[in-house]
Amino acid sequence: MAFKAISIVVARCLSSLELLFRLDRGLPQSNLRLVVDGLAGALAIGVVATTSVAAQEKPNAVGLGIFTFTSGPAAAYGMPGKNAADLMIDEINATGGIEGVPVSATYVDEAQGAQGVIAEYRRLAGDAKNQVMIAALSSATCLALAPLAEQLEVPTVGWNCDTHQLLMDGKSKYVFRPNGNTVPEFIAYAIYLLDRKPDVKTVAIINPDYAFGHDAAKIFTAALKALKPDIQIVAELYPKLGSPNYQTEISRLTTARPDVVFSNLWGADLENFVRQATPRGLFASSQVILALGETVLQRVPLPDGVIVGVLGDGWWMSPDAKANPETVKFAEAYKRRFGEYPVFPAIKMANALIYVKAAYKAAMQKNGGKRPTRAELADAMKGSKVATLTGTAQTRADNDGLVDQIVGVTVKTPAQQFPVIGDMARYKGDSLMPQVGQDPLAWISTLKPEFAKSLPKPGSYK
Amino acid sequence: MRTIVAASAVLILAVLPVAAPWLQFVLTVAIAKGFAALGVAVLLRAGLISIGHAMFFAASAYGVAFLARAGINDLGLLLILSVLVAALVGAIAGMFLVRYRAIFFAMLNLAVSMVFYALCAKLYGVTGGTDGLPVPIPAVFGIAVGEPVFKSVLFYLSLALMLLVGLAVQRYLNSPLGHALSAVHSNEIRLEYLGIPVWTVLLIAYVISAALAGLGGAIAGFAIGRVVPDFAFWTASGHLVLIAVLGGIGGVPGAFLGALFLELLHSAAVTVTDAWNLIVGMTLIIVIMFLPQGFYGLFSRKEASSL
Repeated sequence: MAFKAISIVVARCLSSLELLFRLDRGLPQSNLRLVVDGLAGALAIGVVATTSVAAQEKPNAVGLGIFTFTSGPAAAYGMPGKNAADLMIDEINATGGIEGVPVSATYVDEAQGAQGVIAEYRRLAGDAKNQVMIAALSSATCLALAPLAEQLEVPTVGWNCDTHQLLMDGKSKYVFRPNGNTVPEFIAYAIYLLDRKPDVKTVAIINPDYAFGHDAAKIFTAALKALKPDIQIVAELYPKLGSPNYQTEISRLTTARPDVVFSNLWGADLENFVRQATPRGLFASSQVILALGETVLQRVPLPDGVIVGVLGDGWWMSPDAKANPETVKFAEAYKRRFGEYPVFPAIKMANALIYVKAAYKAAMQKNGGKRPTRAELADAMKGSKVATLTGTAQTRADNDGLVDQIVGVTVKTPAQQFPVIGDMARYKGDSLMPQVGQDPLAWISTLKPEFAKSLPKPGSYK
Repeated sequence: MRTIVAASAVLILAVLPVAAPWLQFVLTVAIAKGFAALGVAVLLRAGLISIGHAMFFAASAYGVAFLARAGINDLGLLLILSVLVAALVGAIAGMFLVRYRAIFFAMLNLAVSMVFYALCAKLYGVTGGTDGLPVPIPAVFGIAVGEPVFKSVLFYLSLALMLLVGLAVQRYLNSPLGHALSAVHSNEIRLEYLGIPVWTVLLIAYVISAALAGLGGAIAGFAIGRVVPDFAFWTASGHLVLIAVLGGIGGVPGAFLGALFLELLHSAAVTVTDAWNLIVGMTLIIVIMFLPQGFYGLFSRKEASSL
């Protein structure tokens, strides 16, 4: 019905365009028509706005809102997430959906900025079919959506955003993050580095110039200083997000001659940085740590011995992942469909969907097989422990997740054409997290060098 | 006739959120941007294009966040104070910016706003960097309200402000001070010979336009609940100019028409495809090709003929 109304309005608007080209403009009658058309157009938009949601309704489908970057530079990171969601949802639906109910997802592009994302979130939340939001990739989006999730009481699963500020107040009822946060992610690198190179003296940092880069630098530096107080930070560089050219930064890094270069650049930025830094010998003169290096393993030739990781346990070739037939199947299906093996953002998305599925199951068991409400779903997520493709995701009392951290170095393998991660350490999720309610940075500064002794050593995870 | 059209348009706006509750947010933000675009349109009257008005938009939104943090917790007070912040920033920047014309004016506005953007993004400890600052829900005239009520209050308040401020700006544009703006555009030297100080005329216009952008910024800050440096980025400024041109600078409603059109188009496009940018861009090209005077041109033509 709505479409008919729109086509009529469009047709009338188009026909009234001809008025503009006529010489005897402004007959009162025709102008009236223009005005009426304008108003009718506004009404039609309203009608569409209300009915489009209704039109999408499938009887008895589990609606999910999935927020990721599908355009702009961050899509280099967001598209693997979307691909994984597509694949997982197809697989879930092929095997009968979640508890017999098919899943249908609506994707929202985070590249529209906070305002557009909030509008879409409100729109999706307005439809009762959409029971869970999987949002979001960017920390800024998560921070903007978190108060909204609490107000609208929609269970919202942060599938990738990892700022430690998100759940710090411990009051969240509807925001969950089965993923861990920046604190364990970057402490893991400090511990791994000191185990592998105990005599490191000087460190340089090159991170993207936004909250994620600054947070990571702060946490990594604090952890290093706590574990080995004589370490010096000789350079801290924050190139603009999306820079095509890193020559100036590379010059600074090579002249500073640090023992270690740490970076959490990602996406195209990381690819550019690696391509420009390799010929200038940065990888030979310093031990480089690329915190998100796993995402480019299949795309740029990284030399051996670069410390890389996956900000969690989402490495599709880890021993745990290889032992899980589901994961192997997922990785192969992903490769067949998208031409690449799943990088860790893809695994994170897949794990988030498994987390939601598990919550559904638990909620339905509890309420006797009825369709769970949003509140029941949030209740089921609380304190849950879910087996994912690559390990377990445990939800703490403050709704933050505990997942293991895998760190290793690049090695060549005859099995693949690209370097893989070897000499790995897998740190238990809870060992690197402050207690609920503790200020993370204050906690890091209380760490003693002995802290690292009890943790797994590089190469221990085989 | 005009009043009937205007009244029915406002009425439709007022009832739309009842039909589709999520539209309330979109419309609130659209009206907020309409205010800012109106600010740009005021300067466009004098032939001055500002590609930097997002700075005032953001300054006021940051003002709300900081004032709220300092303990001020009332919607009315926060709105007034933040608009004053924007006007003050406008007065300071305007004092030297209104000496310039044409491309120099546009570029200097752009430069100043990008300095502001860089400060917002870089002063990590003060502004929260790219993660921005939260804008809490204030009390409405002393009454603490919940989130849904506040958002409705905000929407209808913006709607009322749109009418009141719109009428005020209309009066201003029809006053000698307002007509002097068009005179600056057509012949600035003659204006000086008539004894009208161009610098003062433009400074007043600049401060008014900064305050309008500030009003929009404050409303947007409340609606979104978070202020991020992207508010001040140059693409946001360009967006405001686009809204002003799209709506038409012939009259006050133009800015709001443009803003509503663009926001609704955006909302519709993102639900259809990932390539929403393409849809928005093509529609803009079509509108600009066929309606060179903007949407307001559709209505003002009738005005001319009825004379």
